[in-house]
Amino acid sequence: MKSVIGLLLLIGVAAQAAEMGTVVRAVELKQKPFIDAPKVMDLQEKTTVEIVLRQEAWVQVKSKDGKTGWIKMLSLRFGSGQAAAGDQVGGLLGAVSVFNTGSSGNTTTGGVKGLTEEQIRNATTNSKELAKMEANAVSSDDAAKFAKAGKLSPGKVEYLPPKS
Amino acid sequence: MKPEFFLRAYGRPILHAAALGALLFGGGCANQGGGMSGGMGALTIENITKIATIGQKAMESQHEVTEAEEVQMGAGIASHLLGAAPLVADAEMQRYVNRVGRWLASQTERANLKWHFGVIDDADINAFTTPGGYVLITKGLFYKLRNESELAGVLAHEIAHVVQRHHLKAISKNSGKEALGGLLQLLADNRGNYDSQRIANALKGASEVFIRGLDKEDEFEADRMGVVIAARAGYTPYGLVGVLQTLAATGSNAPTLALMTKTHPLPSARLDMLEAAMGDKLDNLDKRVSDVPRFAKFRK
Repeated sequence: MKSVIGLLLLIGVAAQAAEMGTVVRAVELKQKPFIDAPKVMDLQEKTTVEIVLRQEAWVQVKSKDGKTGWIKMLSLRFGSGQAAAGDQVGGLLGAVSVFNTGSSGNTTTGGVKGLTEEQIRNATTNSKELAKMEANAVSSDDAAKFAKAGKLSPGKVEYLPPKS
Repeated sequence: MKPEFFLRAYGRPILHAAALGALLFGGGCANQGGGMSGGMGALTIENITKIATIGQKAMESQHEVTEAEEVQMGAGIASHLLGAAPLVADAEMQRYVNRVGRWLASQTERANLKWHFGVIDDADINAFTTPGGYVLITKGLFYKLRNESELAGVLAHEIAHVVQRHHLKAISKNSGKEALGGLLQLLADNRGNYDSQRIANALKGASEVFIRGLDKEDEFEADRMGVVIAARAGYTPYGLVGVLQTLAATGSNAPTLALMTKTHPLPSARLDMLEAAMGDKLDNLDKRVSDVPRFAKFRK
């Protein structure tokens, strides 16, 4: 029994140390984060990879045999709600299929009622904190200066329909 | 199609009837600004009674809450949430989050609202938004973020809820029109005093929305809008994607995600929906920012 707990702890630690993901479909591992970059190798559907670096739409990953390259960020999945994903994708247990394609009815399945839920129910209003929050507000001009300092340049982008 | 809320500064009881009058008798399209007042001439006591019975369906789909009322209610609910968990006592962090949030909000259709943002002292991973532009994220969530564009992704998702008035819609649906009207009346009568027992009780009812959650479709819509709002503000639209991947990797059984899991679609489902909507559409935007060095100062 003790050793089982020990193993579980070990898995937990291993999963924390490196972030792992599972490839959602067969994709090419690219040398660079571009669609037309040369291919390093093919990654089969459900291959587990280690996340190295994130860069906008792309993620640098390392395959099990140590090859590094880039895939699209949205080609990766990290778990379903069936079990803690960190327990599944750590490699020690193998890559269990962890896909959930958005089937309905799962929204309110969380069984454990967190402390926060009770805290919300039992709360009483706190006007002093509200006043603080309101005092923290900044003007749109202030925010624009802040954006400029961060080299953020605004642009026109249309909202997306549900399916592109 | 956006939800239909009418922001008008009329008195409420007359307003309901007037809006329905316009819908049922005036023939005016309520989407077009001038339609509603045009219907008022058709109103008699008899008609109002008729409307009250046959117009129930229309009533349920129409929410005539003024912006001032929405903000007042939102402030009250924020006060209730802050009673559950106060702000993190770090003025610099609070100002930072307000600046990121305000900049994002400036890129939306409700840029002129007085927006408020805050980080609350709660180790769970979650975010709460109230009507009228009060956005709270937990420090548990803040400390999970990798960079400023992920913070922007979270805030933009919450801002989208306010732009679409998702919580107002849900509160109205949960509590019923009568209770919502009662709450608004109470707030109007006790301007600025959210601590009276009656108001506190009414706000408690409205705050149930954070335990029940929103309609799943509203969450998916807020994700789709959130990535665009972030992109409009100059951030990579993939910040929110990174956060959802973090949540998925954390696992929905994690105690820190209990309430989030109960009230939101699973992160994997949200990623599927985002992928379907985004495709490659937002991949070739010019000069999008993933991080700004100032973010590092607030990491744990």
